[in-house]
Amino acid sequence: MHALLLLSDSALPLGSFAYSSGLESYLAHNKPLPRSTTVIASFQRFLELSIASIASTSIPYLLAAYRDPESLVTLDNDLDASTPCVVAQRASVAQGRALLGVWERAFRETYKNQPDWAPESSRRAIDVIGRFSDDLKSSVGGPDDLGPKGHFAPIWGVVCLAMGVELQQATYIFMLNHAKAVLSAAVRASVMGPYQAQSVLASKTLQDMITKRIEHEWETDTADAGQLVPALDLWVGRHELLYSRIFNS
Amino acid sequence: MPVLSPFQSSIAKPGQGKVVLTLLPPGIPTLKTLTYKYPLKLLTRTSGFVPESSASKNAARPVHLYLLSYGGGLLPGDQIEVSVTLEPCTRLVVTTPQGSTKIFKTEVEEVGTTRLAGGEEETRLQKMSRQVVDVRIDRGAALCYLPDPSVPFRDSRYEQVQRFTVVDGTVRDDAQRSSLCVLDWVTQGRTSRGENWDFHSWRGKNEVWSENDKKKKLLLRDSVILDQESQDPAAGYTLIRERTRPHGVVGTLILYGPLFESLASFFMDTFASLPRIGGRNWSTAPSTAADASHNNADGNVTWTAARVRAGFVLVKFGARDFETARSWLGGLLRREGSIAREFGEEALLFCS
Repeated sequence: MHALLLLSDSALPLGSFAYSSGLESYLAHNKPLPRSTTVIASFQRFLELSIASIASTSIPYLLAAYRDPESLVTLDNDLDASTPCVVAQRASVAQGRALLGVWERAFRETYKNQPDWAPESSRRAIDVIGRFSDDLKSSVGGPDDLGPKGHFAPIWGVVCLAMGVELQQATYIFMLNHAKAVLSAAVRASVMGPYQAQSVLASKTLQDMITKRIEHEWETDTADAGQLVPALDLWVGRHELLYSRIFNS
Repeated sequence: MPVLSPFQSSIAKPGQGKVVLTLLPPGIPTLKTLTYKYPLKLLTRTSGFVPESSASKNAARPVHLYLLSYGGGLLPGDQIEVSVTLEPCTRLVVTTPQGSTKIFKTEVEEVGTTRLAGGEEETRLQKMSRQVVDVRIDRGAALCYLPDPSVPFRDSRYEQVQRFTVVDGTVRDDAQRSSLCVLDWVTQGRTSRGENWDFHSWRGKNEVWSENDKKKKLLLRDSVILDQESQDPAAGYTLIRERTRPHGVVGTLILYGPLFESLASFFMDTFASLPRIGGRNWSTAPSTAADASHNNADGNVTWTAARVRAGFVLVKFGARDFETARSWLGGLLRREGSIAREFGEEALLFCS
């Protein structure tokens, strides 16, 4: 429970709020809106597409990392190979590394001394994170370097395992955090007010949407993960072309 | 061109095909193996074209492989499996001279989500059309694969896996590196019949693996899943057309290796110099006619180019319709010119 609250805290310093996950670019590409559509409806569409897309591309990696922490290096490589645009890649790596940082500086101290009854998998996860983090620090990190990158989803899976969070919950928080980041971006991009954003966040629709997407991906192998929303790749990739930007993605 | 064993085709299973291309001294491209079985048909031809101003020394003459199927498309249950091996320093051009690959309708009794794995789904799987292309590109060899798009008809189900293996993808020496250009695109269906992303499922996966002393590493995976998850019109954004809107065709172009480096840089430069979105054009110079027409085409094509890892350049695009995408892509490939220079005009069959 305690770990759950820590991980869902919006004050968790991952920098997630620097990213709009393509919202900013989406708004610019769909301007002006046809008369029949309101800004809110257009945003609702984006949120739904964004959640479906992040679920189909990230959840299989999160699940696989949790179920088999030792495969973290391979998962990190495969996710990096599967991320088609540099904008999304940067966002994922920055958050993944930030999470590693938080783990090392804040959480590890508490969770490293596992009581005897703690599952053996948590201890394994802690070892894996330690080794991965060392690898990451010693890698050169050039553009052609194929060493460890530190993608968000698999690291999230392993950190949750280390902290003893259940898999279902770990996945749910991951998705909810994504929704929060998109909504917060919407508020800052003046799509909606903060109360309206909270009401979307609290809505049954959003809950159902997240639950359904998790169910849909629960058995998906990472080799079968893929982009459900091709248009989203284009918007995210074209974020770099925006004349003015307030977000990093 | 000598084909060593013309009787080997009896080995192939239905829909299977196998091609092995090698270079005999002093640089004569030769097919060691060429087998195929119905409904797949493979034709090859060594063109008279000799790459004269190539980016690599001692450039071999490209061999053309035509990927054909009876009826120009795939019926439910058709399973195509093509395996191609390019031995060192060979060059292969693959095209689809029948035009777009039509994916015919699949009759299914039950509806719902598709799962590709699992035994009980076996019957469902048999009703899908499936195409697996496996290409191994050895050192210094090059593949130029520019097919027409696949056109999934209403209610069709299709899965495509294209696996490319380059030998030692981390090597730095240009003469040793393999080259790869792959285009993969899908349209909304037969627009003349009002089809608008009305198929059940289309999955396309392109993978590039690097192989080094039997160890394999995934360099790139581009996977698009267009699945009608629900038949209920009220399901909203689970409809495929909601996920592709406003495009009538989406696609990916993968570029890798020394032969496509100049093309890759060209795409990156062109992308970087696109007009900023939401910016204002302060330029007072009147644009030339060529520029204007180019801009017009661009207005209907949304695209991005990214230099991702291991030297790959990935171009993703979405366009209003097939014609728009074709003329846009064909225009860029011709303007840059290296495909025609290295592989001959015929490699650009899709846009001729």
